Amino acid sequence: MITVLRYGQLASIAILSCWVLSGCAIISRDVTRTEAYNRFAIKAAEAQLWNEAVFRWKQVIGIDPEDSKAHNNLGVAYEALGNMDEAIAAYQRAAELEPNNKYYRLNYRRCRIHLRRSGGNDEDAPQLEEPPLTK
Amino acid sequence: MKVVKRIGILLGVLALCGCSNAVTRVSIPVKVESEIDITRYSNFAVLPFVSEKQVERNEKLPPEVGEEIASILRRGLARQKHFEVVSTQETARMLTGETVEEDWLTDTKHLSKLGEYFEVKAVIIGSFRFYSDSRPRRYYGERYSVRRQRYVLDYQDYMQKTYLLSLRVMIVDVETQQIVWDQSYRRSTAEAHTIGSFIFSQVGPQANTIRELGRRAVSEFTRQISPHYESEDRYLVN
Repeated sequence: MITVLRYGQLASIAILSCWVLSGCAIISRDVTRTEAYNRFAIKAAEAQLWNEAVFRWKQVIGIDPEDSKAHNNLGVAYEALGNMDEAIAAYQRAAELEPNNKYYRLNYRRCRIHLRRSGGNDEDAPQLEEPPLTK
Repeated sequence: MKVVKRIGILLGVLALCGCSNAVTRVSIPVKVESEIDITRYSNFAVLPFVSEKQVERNEKLPPEVGEEIASILRRGLARQKHFEVVSTQETARMLTGETVEEDWLTDTKHLSKLGEYFEVKAVIIGSFRFYSDSRPRRYYGERYSVRRQRYVLDYQDYMQKTYLLSLRVMIVDVETQQIVWDQSYRRSTAEAHTIGSFIFSQVGPQANTIRELGRRAVSEFTRQISPHYESEDRYLVN
């Protein structure tokens, strides 16, 4: 009886472990995929292939809509392509998801400064302070 | 217990490494708009630039220098798709018998009339000041002393001649007779001379120097009034 119980416990532990591990594997596969897309998109951006980078970051957001990095990077790509409204929206979303990230705030602020310089209207955009860039 | 503590520290370090964001700095092209209203000021007449006579230090320059600076500006503006410029030949033909004087710079009414005659929206006029400043300088270096069998401190005296060009550029609105742009651009270049070459440089022609400085000053002005791209840094987070 004890043996049966032990076997039963062992079996349930094994099933639970398998379930947890498979869940982790699915999550880690997604994370690995988004990281791979992000890395690829950054390489594309470094080669000034901004349309390709936008496509990859959109894929990342499709997998994980709350990936703040992808929103920030997408904002940079949109800005490089001259789509300022989309860039502002992407930066805002990144800053909402991770309000304390200095790089998101810096990109967002610079984009707004540029918009103001080029005669665009950014009065509706929320104000964020530019943090000191110390790494 | 000690092993558990070590594993804890290791896990903490790994977690911190995982949490940190690597950042890639990229340059993106950003469009910079013109500092004037290019929808309004789309065609110009560029008048010859005048030498500022009151300045005692002005170098003796041939009279065609002002016209040369104006033609450099005309060429620079004509390359921009947003602007139309009255050609050098046309300007010379229409200004036949007239000499652009320094008092024209303040007479916006006269400039406006000229602009109407040229059938343009704005007239570009300006003045320049070109002078040189020479100062003795000392260059410190090292030379090998055979007697002492080592490198010793050595110096050489030379004359540093600095050429300076101050170019004032104005844009006058033909319709309103207002000055819509008035800015000065200073450019300089320096040469090192020995006594012999310095004497020669004092009497030698300086047209190439002023042309080069004029080109640099004019390109700055053209850049400001034309839409162009600049590069700015942004941060991509890995």
